[in-house]
Amino acid sequence: MSVRRVLVRPLLTGGLLLTLLVAGCGVRPSEVITGRPAQSGASQGIRLYLLWRGQVAVVVRPTKVNPSPSPEASLALLLAGPEEYERRQGFTSEVPAGLRAVPSVPPAGTAPGSPPAVSGGAGGLTVTVTGPVRPLSTDAADQIICTVADAAAQAGQAEYFVPVTIVGSDGARPALPCSIR
Amino acid sequence: MTPRRWADARAFGLRVRLLLAFVLLGVTTTAVVASGSYFQARTVILQQAQDAAVMSLTDQLAQLYPLRQLPPTQEDLDTLAQRLSDREGYAVVVCRDMRAQGSEAPDLLTPQLRQAVRDGVVAWQRVSVDGEPVLLIGTQLELDRPDGASLPSGLEVYSVRSLAPEQQSIDRLATLAWLTGGLSLVLAVLLALLAAQGVLRPVRELGRAARSLGEGRLTTRLSVRGADELADVARTFNNTAATLERQVGELRRMEADARRFVADVSHELRTPLAAMTAVTDVLDEEADRLPGDAGRAARLVSQETQSLTQLVNDLIEVSRFDSGTARLALDDVDVAAAVTATLRLRGWTDRVRVDLPPGVVARLDPRRLDVIVANLVGNAFRHGAEPVSLRLRVEPDWLTIEVADEGPGLRPEVLAHVFDRFYKADTARTRSEGSGLGLAIAWENARLHRAPGQQGSLTAGNAPNGGAVFTLRLPRVAADDAGQAR
Repeated sequence: MSVRRVLVRPLLTGGLLLTLLVAGCGVRPSEVITGRPAQSGASQGIRLYLLWRGQVAVVVRPTKVNPSPSPEASLALLLAGPEEYERRQGFTSEVPAGLRAVPSVPPAGTAPGSPPAVSGGAGGLTVTVTGPVRPLSTDAADQIICTVADAAAQAGQAEYFVPVTIVGSDGARPALPCSIR
Repeated sequence: MTPRRWADARAFGLRVRLLLAFVLLGVTTTAVVASGSYFQARTVILQQAQDAAVMSLTDQLAQLYPLRQLPPTQEDLDTLAQRLSDREGYAVVVCRDMRAQGSEAPDLLTPQLRQAVRDGVVAWQRVSVDGEPVLLIGTQLELDRPDGASLPSGLEVYSVRSLAPEQQSIDRLATLAWLTGGLSLVLAVLLALLAAQGVLRPVRELGRAARSLGEGRLTTRLSVRGADELADVARTFNNTAATLERQVGELRRMEADARRFVADVSHELRTPLAAMTAVTDVLDEEADRLPGDAGRAARLVSQETQSLTQLVNDLIEVSRFDSGTARLALDDVDVAAAVTATLRLRGWTDRVRVDLPPGVVARLDPRRLDVIVANLVGNAFRHGAEPVSLRLRVEPDWLTIEVADEGPGLRPEVLAHVFDRFYKADTARTRSEGSGLGLAIAWENARLHRAPGQQGSLTAGNAPNGGAVFTLRLPRVAADDAGQAR
């Protein structure tokens, strides 16, 4: 009947509207909303690059005195391997334990004395270690490159993405910048 | 409410339609406006709360720098979580596989939020915990890199904060919206009723006036209010009613004039006719002695004078009916005796076969009964064929007299006009027979007999064997005031 049809449509519309209103009330759960980039700040200590589950990850070692570590000190700490509490948390290093930094021939113009294991400037850094460097894994090389480059950059000696050449007893690896982006 | 007004509120009458339209309009408008402002306000409230919470968290986190040790020890994490927890919420600090929480609550962090934080942005999400809305904010504590970018540190801080106060504000908004809706609904109903009243009252008055006019009260008028369409209709109605009243009045006046004229003429004719009748009586006596043409002329004059007297008497009778002055002179009458007397007086006793049950007493006007019976029987003799029969039938409330003849009966076109005044069934008929008013007078006399719920009638028809049958029906007991009801 037409009377029924006349009644039904507004009722349906009203009911739908009411349902929508009631359903949309209150504070609804939401999707993830993303904002600006994450909080970032300075660190105070020596940054080393270790491996955590196969990924290069940064750690900060507290320092007693020197707020601006030298690349050599950082390299020495890295070659010494992760500390006990770092190991407990799953940090590893692929840099072979026998590797040591050795004094290399200082370039002309630098002061004689304790020859640096890390040399070079803005154009490129050279790291000299004992032992073979060619068998080093990519991750191990990355660890060394990033640690040295980071320390050098903090000390103001070079850019962060400076190419680093690792020289060992079996020659030199091609110069590469830190792969962390 | 009276039954009349209930009847007006019929299913889809104007009132209900107006009500529905107003309510629909009111509800729709309120729903749109209220829900729009509700959603807008909710968005603003939530956004402000979230932004404030994010700002507060990042401010707190900025004070943690510079980081001295990474990864921190579990004690460091616990301290950090405690430091970031306050009465508004608590913090969850995650570093790689380590985790510290500022409260005993279950883990609320969603994988999606963890992923977004791991990707290096400040992220937040609303989740529902046991029906209570909770805001989760997360960020990673990254490290500045010398080149200006930042290094992911794996240290993530999450703030868990209840949105119950915001929920309360929003619920208050919703309550307000519902209240507004309800109020507007009530208002819409009131307005609709008011509007319906405004429209319906003139319509109802118009209907009542039209009904009154239709029942013959031509003086009915409407009061015209305002200048809208309904006022136009009322004005038109009034004009129509006025015209109708004027024309009907005119017609009635003309009709009354004509009737008075007939009555006056009839009365004026009476006196000279009386004189003429006296003269023709003398002529009648002398007619036989008068020779040839003179005798025939004398007899003709006498005969025509009698006819004229009959005509004038009939006219006077008819004008009494027309002016409503005809009155019944009621008496308790033995119907059989009265009918027999009528026939005997006219010398028709031998020519009519009567069927009269004796002892039927009715209260009626005997003179008018005599006129009716005489007219019916005389009419049967003149236009039908003998034998003529008369039959009286009695019911508890009615008595019926049937006069039938054996003639050819009445043709249909005659049947419709047989009681009309001066109606001539046969145009070639000689004009000397009857005044042409007999059946009309009989019909009026029959109708004059009334009782509550009853009215006498005279009808004409044909018998199955072909003769004409006139049927007179009178109430057994006619009322005294019957004549005044006319």
